[in-house]
Amino acid sequence: MADIAATEQTPVSMLRREQRKKRYYSIGIVLPCLVLAMFALIPFLSPSYKTLDLALKIIIFASLVASFDIMLGYTGILSFGHGMFFGIGAYCVAFLNGKYGDPTYFHLFLGLLLAVAVACVLALIVSLISLRVKAIFFAMITLALAELTIVLANKLSHFTGGEDGISISLPGIFSAAFNPGSFLGLDISGRVITYYFILLACLGLFALMLRFTHSPLGRVLQAIRDNTDRAEALGYKTFYFQTLSIVLGCTVAAMTGGLYAMWVGYVNPESTLEVMAIMLNVLLMVIIGGMGTLYGGIVGAAFLLITQTFLPDLQKIAIDLFPNASLLHTILERWLLLFGILFILVVIFFPKGVVGSAREFIARARGEAFFSS
Amino acid sequence: MTETILKRWDRELVIAGVAVLFLLPLFGIPPKIYLTLTIAGLAMGMLLFLVASGVSIILGLMDVLNFAHGALFAWGAYVGFSTFKFLERWVQADSVLLNFGAFAAAIVCAMAVVAVLGMVLERVLVRRVYGNHLFQILITFGATIVLVEMIRVIWGPNDDVMAVPLTFQGNWDVFDVIIDRYRIICILIGALVFGVVQLVLKKTKLGLIVRAGVENRDMVQAMGHNIFLLFTGVFAVGAGLAALGGLAMSIFSLQVYPDMGSTYLLFAFIVVIIGGLGSVTGSLVGALIVGLSYNYVAYLVPWAAAGVNIIIMIIILLIRPKGLFTAGK
Repeated sequence: MADIAATEQTPVSMLRREQRKKRYYSIGIVLPCLVLAMFALIPFLSPSYKTLDLALKIIIFASLVASFDIMLGYTGILSFGHGMFFGIGAYCVAFLNGKYGDPTYFHLFLGLLLAVAVACVLALIVSLISLRVKAIFFAMITLALAELTIVLANKLSHFTGGEDGISISLPGIFSAAFNPGSFLGLDISGRVITYYFILLACLGLFALMLRFTHSPLGRVLQAIRDNTDRAEALGYKTFYFQTLSIVLGCTVAAMTGGLYAMWVGYVNPESTLEVMAIMLNVLLMVIIGGMGTLYGGIVGAAFLLITQTFLPDLQKIAIDLFPNASLLHTILERWLLLFGILFILVVIFFPKGVVGSAREFIARARGEAFFSS
Repeated sequence: MTETILKRWDRELVIAGVAVLFLLPLFGIPPKIYLTLTIAGLAMGMLLFLVASGVSIILGLMDVLNFAHGALFAWGAYVGFSTFKFLERWVQADSVLLNFGAFAAAIVCAMAVVAVLGMVLERVLVRRVYGNHLFQILITFGATIVLVEMIRVIWGPNDDVMAVPLTFQGNWDVFDVIIDRYRIICILIGALVFGVVQLVLKKTKLGLIVRAGVENRDMVQAMGHNIFLLFTGVFAVGAGLAALGGLAMSIFSLQVYPDMGSTYLLFAFIVVIIGGLGSVTGSLVGALIVGLSYNYVAYLVPWAAAGVNIIIMIIILLIRPKGLFTAGK
């Protein structure tokens, strides 16, 4: 006992205790709680399908981007197969609840579990093959594999449903037909229950990822990102740690894919596997939000999805304002061009993203030294 | 013992293994079809080599994974498309000379435009992020989006039919083996480019510096060579090769579309991984492997064609993690 009391008095542990006390009042904990409360209240504030859909897509993509961030921002490994893992998760749920099984709770659970298992194995194989040489290989090989998956999903149409895809029906309380009545003026339907279920699941995934990155293991990953050779020299087997991070990131991606399939009720190669489209979105989100922050995913996903939703309106306004500038119209029609330029500008001038820069600014304002994490 | 043999006969063993592998389909395919498929495979391989060699040299020398290579490839195809449109009379004429004139003009235009584009890309974007792999990939990925969207703005978002010079169409019938004319031209172009690149790399001082740079960049810089100038030059050459590949490929597949780069970039990556980073010979061998196996498998087991390259890549990576050839060779 004496020993423990003595160790608690060390300067480091005292500092830690101070920090822990402060933490509950800091912006770092208050802001996420506010955001969470907002998402929880959205069905009450605006129960229209469009808002609900947008909010839920933000939640799902925020989790997906966070899982991507574990690999990119915390470990320094770029994967172009993240969309593939997302799609695999979606397909696993769809197989068991649409094509090869009746919608039951057990099948739903099994589908998510299958998604995790498949993603785990695939991620392991890919990292075993590619990480032996160079981390660059990982980007190239995942890109190749992702393209292959799309081709397979389209070609093996008797198995995957081909381009037509698979529609999913959900069991019991998640199904659209379920309607027990209303609560506080909100019409409780299967959609709303699904919304809350997915919100909770994503919250769990997010908590898992936060725990992972803030553990000593997460520190090792950051050390590997910053200087692989030094981490190796310190005695860490970088290969194992990188593999672990990849497996976790990909597994979470598959889970979010499964949840996405639950919400959309339909999977096809175009919507869930399309490498360039999904990867472009995810990359933009993670860059805008800030690499290596996890929370950046929420900011990036919210920004991008809201912009994309209201883009047609923006185009209309622009056309009304300048009816004669045809070049402007062409460029506005190609909104991806604007996003591409934005992407390059952010990478060059704003590499920490919104959250990273905000953290740096706060730390500067307080006069603390800033360490990006 | 086996170690030393493996080391001494390294390249020969690789080549012998590859040769055996590609004679195997003779058992499953009638010889005439085998010959047709082989020529198709060689042509495809040569076209892939044009794309992959640029990626490989840039990756080997500058340590930059250039994702924008696919977009440059598509730009080459589109510039060639416009040149053909401009020289429509020459393309339609029933004269070998005029046809080749149009083809040469298209090649010069495409390579020049895209080389300039590549230089701008290197100076403006890539130079900022040397030494940081992650940001290189990100920034060239961003450049890809912008370049592809620029194609859509300039040439329109839809597919277009690529014109083919009249004498390039049709095929020869040699002892009942049907040989597409344009495929032979592709093979010749590929062989020519390989020869020129090899000659420059092996026999000139510039090539010496490039090869030395692949092995040790810092040392080359310490010897007083302006490595940044060299980088810009190599980037431009790589972009020019991509443009040539794009032009040749679009004539081969009879169409141009804005996204065409991403498909072939993927093949190029597989080729580079198989052949070994930074090796031109490796790119050639890798490209031929990919082209031939794709054609054989597409004939034997059609649904597996898309996957066979990736399977070959995985097998080769398991045996030789760094690819078939070492850098700089």
